[in-house]
Amino acid sequence: MADATAVAAAATSRDPATGLAAVASLRTLLESLEELQVRNARDQGWSWQQIADGLSVSRQAVHKKYRRHLD
Amino acid sequence: MFERFTDPARRVVVLAQESARERGDDTIRSEHLLLGVCRATDSRGAALLAAHGVTLREVEDDLRRSTVSDRDALASVGIDLDEVRERVEDAFGPGALESTRAAGRRRRRWGHRPVDRGAKKVLELALREAVHHGDRTIGTEHVLLGMLHTATGRAEPLLAARGVTLAGMRAALDHDAPGAASG
Repeated sequence: MADATAVAAAATSRDPATGLAAVASLRTLLESLEELQVRNARDQGWSWQQIADGLSVSRQAVHKKYRRHLD
Repeated sequence: MFERFTDPARRVVVLAQESARERGDDTIRSEHLLLGVCRATDSRGAALLAAHGVTLREVEDDLRRSTVSDRDALASVGIDLDEVRERVEDAFGPGALESTRAAGRRRRRWGHRPVDRGAKKVLELALREAVHHGDRTIGTEHVLLGMLHTATGRAEPLLAARGVTLAGMRAALDHDAPGAASG
């Protein structure tokens, strides 16, 4: 699926393999971006509450997910 | 179970693990066992495949063609991964996107890789094939026969597309060297 035509075909295909792979790749990308942004916010002195507000999640959720690895 | 494996068959399992690691896959599946057989040059399994025009190169090509990369998967929903990576690196430095724990989970470099259900079935069927052929040990040719059963993973359809089937390989094996030592 290297060429543009093939990718365009994949975009409109109802092949579950393509659709599910897209969701899985999106999830990984989302998690990576979240991690980078949370780390950046902590580095800049943001509180867990501020980060939680920014992500529209609870403070507990973001704290539990990142505390061990970022602080 | 592995105590009945011949040395080459054990090597296939080790090479399958290596193949999974190199490809960044987090489980050992039937296609990794197939790569293992192809990489165990001089083994009976590899010889059977080569006689039917299947070597490591063909298998790698087929896998590449049928694998959706992150880049292609994201492009299918309108996201340009290279563009995203470029912007992330502008902000957070080179390799930032790949440095995250989330990216690492998808691409575990070290550590234990479990054998998935399909690959387990391949190994169980290899034992059954060995018994069926009256062999006391499980060789690479039996591992090959195991992965030619349906519903064991990607190896079976990949090989079928190249004309390698369970019936054909069983016949080739009987014809080639009836009673020959497995390996």
